[in-house]
Amino acid sequence: MSMHTLLQYKWSMMTPEFIVLITALILSLADLWMPNDKNRRPLAWIAVVGVVIALIATAGLIPAKPVSILYDTFRIDSFSKAFKLLVLAGGALCLLLALDYRPKEGLSHRGEFYYLLLCALLGAMIMASSGDLITLFVGLELLSVSSYILAGIRKTSAQSNESALKYVISGGIATAITLFGMSYIFGLTGTTNLKEMAFEVQKLADSNYQYLLALAFLLLLVGLSFKISSVPFHMWAPDVYQGAPTPVTAFLSVVSKTAGFVILLRLFITIFAAAPAHGKDPSSLLLSMQNYIAVLAGLTMIIGNTVALRQRSMKRLFAYSSIAHAGYLLVGFAAMSWVMIDSIWFYLLAYVLMNVGAFAIIQRLSDEADSDDMIHFAGLYQRNPLLAVSMGIFLLSLAGIPGTAGFIGKLNIFLGALMTEPGHYMLAAVMIATTVVSYVYYFGVFVQIFFRPADEAASVKLPVGLTVTVVLCAFGTLLFGIFPSLAYQVLAQFEHFGDFLQ
Amino acid sequence: MMEIAWIVPLFPLFSFFFLLAVGKKMKETSAYVGILMTLLSFLLSLAVLFDRLGGSTYKAEHVWLTIGSVKLTAGFAVTALNAWMLVVVSLVSFLVHIYSKGYMHGDERFSVFYAYLGLFTFAMLGLVLSPNLLQTYVFWELVGLGSFLLIGFYFYKEEAKAAAKKAFIMTRIGDVGFFIGMILLFWQVGSFAYDDIFRAAEDGTLSQTMVTLTAILIFIGAVGKSGQFPLHTWLPDAMEGPTPVSALIHAATMVAAGVYLVAALFPLYEASETAMLTVAVVGGFTALFAATIGLVQTDIKRVLAYSTVSQLGYMMLALGSGSYVAGIFHLTTHAFFKALLFLAAGSVIHAVHTQDIEKMGGLWRKMPLTGPLFLIGTLAISGVPLFSGFFSKDEILVAAWTHGHVALFWIAVVTAFFTAFYMFRLFFLVFGGEKRHDEKDVHEAPAVMTLPMIVLAVLAVAAGYVHTPWFGTFLGDWLTDGAYAHETAPGWIMAVATAVSLLGIFLAWLMYGKRSLARDWLSSRVPYTYSLLWNKYYIDELYMRTVGYAATAISLLLSYIDRFVVEGIARLIAATVHTSASLGSRMQNGQVQMYGAVTFVGLALLVVILAFTGGYL
Repeated sequence: MSMHTLLQYKWSMMTPEFIVLITALILSLADLWMPNDKNRRPLAWIAVVGVVIALIATAGLIPAKPVSILYDTFRIDSFSKAFKLLVLAGGALCLLLALDYRPKEGLSHRGEFYYLLLCALLGAMIMASSGDLITLFVGLELLSVSSYILAGIRKTSAQSNESALKYVISGGIATAITLFGMSYIFGLTGTTNLKEMAFEVQKLADSNYQYLLALAFLLLLVGLSFKISSVPFHMWAPDVYQGAPTPVTAFLSVVSKTAGFVILLRLFITIFAAAPAHGKDPSSLLLSMQNYIAVLAGLTMIIGNTVALRQRSMKRLFAYSSIAHAGYLLVGFAAMSWVMIDSIWFYLLAYVLMNVGAFAIIQRLSDEADSDDMIHFAGLYQRNPLLAVSMGIFLLSLAGIPGTAGFIGKLNIFLGALMTEPGHYMLAAVMIATTVVSYVYYFGVFVQIFFRPADEAASVKLPVGLTVTVVLCAFGTLLFGIFPSLAYQVLAQFEHFGDFLQ
Repeated sequence: MMEIAWIVPLFPLFSFFFLLAVGKKMKETSAYVGILMTLLSFLLSLAVLFDRLGGSTYKAEHVWLTIGSVKLTAGFAVTALNAWMLVVVSLVSFLVHIYSKGYMHGDERFSVFYAYLGLFTFAMLGLVLSPNLLQTYVFWELVGLGSFLLIGFYFYKEEAKAAAKKAFIMTRIGDVGFFIGMILLFWQVGSFAYDDIFRAAEDGTLSQTMVTLTAILIFIGAVGKSGQFPLHTWLPDAMEGPTPVSALIHAATMVAAGVYLVAALFPLYEASETAMLTVAVVGGFTALFAATIGLVQTDIKRVLAYSTVSQLGYMMLALGSGSYVAGIFHLTTHAFFKALLFLAAGSVIHAVHTQDIEKMGGLWRKMPLTGPLFLIGTLAISGVPLFSGFFSKDEILVAAWTHGHVALFWIAVVTAFFTAFYMFRLFFLVFGGEKRHDEKDVHEAPAVMTLPMIVLAVLAVAAGYVHTPWFGTFLGDWLTDGAYAHETAPGWIMAVATAVSLLGIFLAWLMYGKRSLARDWLSSRVPYTYSLLWNKYYIDELYMRTVGYAATAISLLLSYIDRFVVEGIARLIAATVHTSASLGSRMQNGQVQMYGAVTFVGLALLVVILAFTGGYL
């Protein structure tokens, strides 16, 4: 590659990535040169500002035409822009959580904590934009490796260490399965470029090749189910979520999951939608394998929601709840209606808001007590009514009660499942039934907050970072619940992601 | 001003939330919050009305929800009808808010009462502003909720509890019709917006049968809300609520919502002869039916309640006869004089602590303000010339006659006679004759209660002059945008109306005022008719014996099914959930090998299925 071609690329399209990268570099250098006894919390503000600027830059790129640079390995289409907005928003909110993270024993590696979060975020952004298996995998690993370290950043906490180790091992297995699946596709098509792959798989008329491709489909589905914590690769989530520092838990459940869905949609729609098949629906392999996704979605919803019933630890409860939400999102995918990406995007938006908001409050209460047992929520209403009401809003939204963003998100996915021909009635029924089950555990927390007496009388004070997070999240949850059209206006600019395959 | 009409309902909503939050501490000062907020609503409504008088219809809509290709909108509209209703509703609500300060004085749940009033007023104003059926339906249910809460305000009284429940269930039966009609319209038209529906009815997108069917279904909702036969039985029972509530909700505003709904959907009804005829017949029949019951009742509020049912029947008759203007005109005058009558009745009840008119009497001198005010209301409802009821009732009679409903016309005339009779029977029994109550210290109500009554009395006279054959049909011209059909009514109609009303008053005077005619000269001769009327045609008993028993039998059967089948299934499901929960958490043993194993087993299973199904599911 000559200097000339290198300069010809529209590097400006990568502005958001550069901003996050530079912020991460600044933070690491600052951390290096700062005296050891200096407080590193202000660094978090730099990180937040960097991410917010990147968010604005991404929003500025929305009107731009889809572009593909670096030999089609890096794409900026409406899909990548839309989901980058989500991961950046989620990342900024998680950084605000990290700003006010105060574990009992203190945090000796605060500098690393912040710039590793940025690195992980960068990985998620690269995943959203990659047009090649190699860049995609690099992004995935950047996200994963950073997350492994983040999970264990509390070096002296046994729980945190256990969490990190389990995460590394599970992640290793997932990576192996994913790569195995990718190798099949590479073998069948002879290329790593997604666009060329889509072109090549169309020619696979031999049913044996199609069989191999179906095998690759399952391998990728299982491998990627790690990132989105869905069945059969969901069991790591409760242990890792519980042991990891709360901002990292929030990050894993929101940003990492979003990135997981990004890569899932990108790979499956580009490659498998183009492949011919000879099964139920011969027009495309993706459609004929639809039922596998549907079954896994159903199992994910059932397992997530039922096992959550038995949890006393808030972080474990939210781990199962996050598994359940992955199930709802998979319903949106399995239905494959024409509003699929729109409904998943909206749901993830709602999920970012309500979940990070809830984690902010969990963080505050569990840091104080050095335990995340549900009992510490008892009587929150007496200790801080506004905080209790905010948590109430997040819980109602997570449960999908009308008036909140969670409801609109669920409604979209639900209607999407019924909209297709034939409709996915079973899946919709399972979704409704498990949602009802979820009321039990969400309202269990509700009861603690509003109807149980408090152990301590001391009112709960919220530090500034968490306050900003809670206010933003509660506001957004209600705003998009009452005026969903605001989010649709944003979505409308992406025109149903028509440039996905261009 | 019209652009900000949407703020009108927000004032009482604020009052609701505010009083809910801090009302307990404010105690009786909460009244000021409620009064101030409804005053603001009223002033803004007035401004909107004046704006609309000179301008044209204003409409604002935004997409609220997009599902696939269907866009649901939300917004508000200021048409002539809406602007007019806004003023009527906010004014009566404002006056009732003031009155309640005196009436509810000393009540333990004083602030709650005001909070509920705020909720109701918000819902009613929201209903009036709705530009589409869906929004109307939402507020329709909300006013129902407000009504339910306020009827059952004295929830420690068994009767109040039962009445609240009854009101909720009976109106709900109507709502089912409304809901089905609404969904049918949406299915056929693809939109909830009134304009779209009218366009579809006009250009034939809606078939004639569909127009008739949906119009009648929606009318069933109106029948429930407006207490029309056969769903009227809840309204008299609703008198268990505090009297200001009866005045506001069960006389002036909410019960008129049914009439308003038919008026708002008038172009749809006009497109179907059958639907119009149904509305007219149900209205005419209810008017006479309720008036006959009113002849013999002895509870002051129940007499007024039956007269409300009867007057609402008049309005329906007007709408069914094609006279939109007459219906709305009577709705307006009725709102004022009936609210006046209820508030005056409340003042009487407040003074003698009974509702039985047999135990009243001789109050004319004791209550120097309430007496004349009640008389004004009575004269207005009886249709005595120069009072508002005279003009609006005349308009309805003319409409029925010119539209060719001869039978309905005569029914309306007879009803007018009955109305005059039972209202003056009420008046003479309460205010005339000798004292029959045990209350020693009867005194006039405080100014905070009499003032709103005076305002209403002025309106009960003056409201008639906005639309008269003598001075000009301002309301009609404005409501119809100048297209008001000036029908040359035969002059004798007015003469007949005046004659029957005076005749009714005269007969009442003979029997209850002068007492030259024995009270039982008629009832003793037709004892069966009397007991039939006294028992309100046994409608409640009929419902109990048929629907009630059938429902009990079905519910018994269902309860067995519930106990053994449903509960069994429920227990099974609960057990399954529990087992899967404990199974799931037992698998979660904290060992990462287990997690990896589960993944591999899962993957293996999927691959095996793939292999066995020959590649594809």
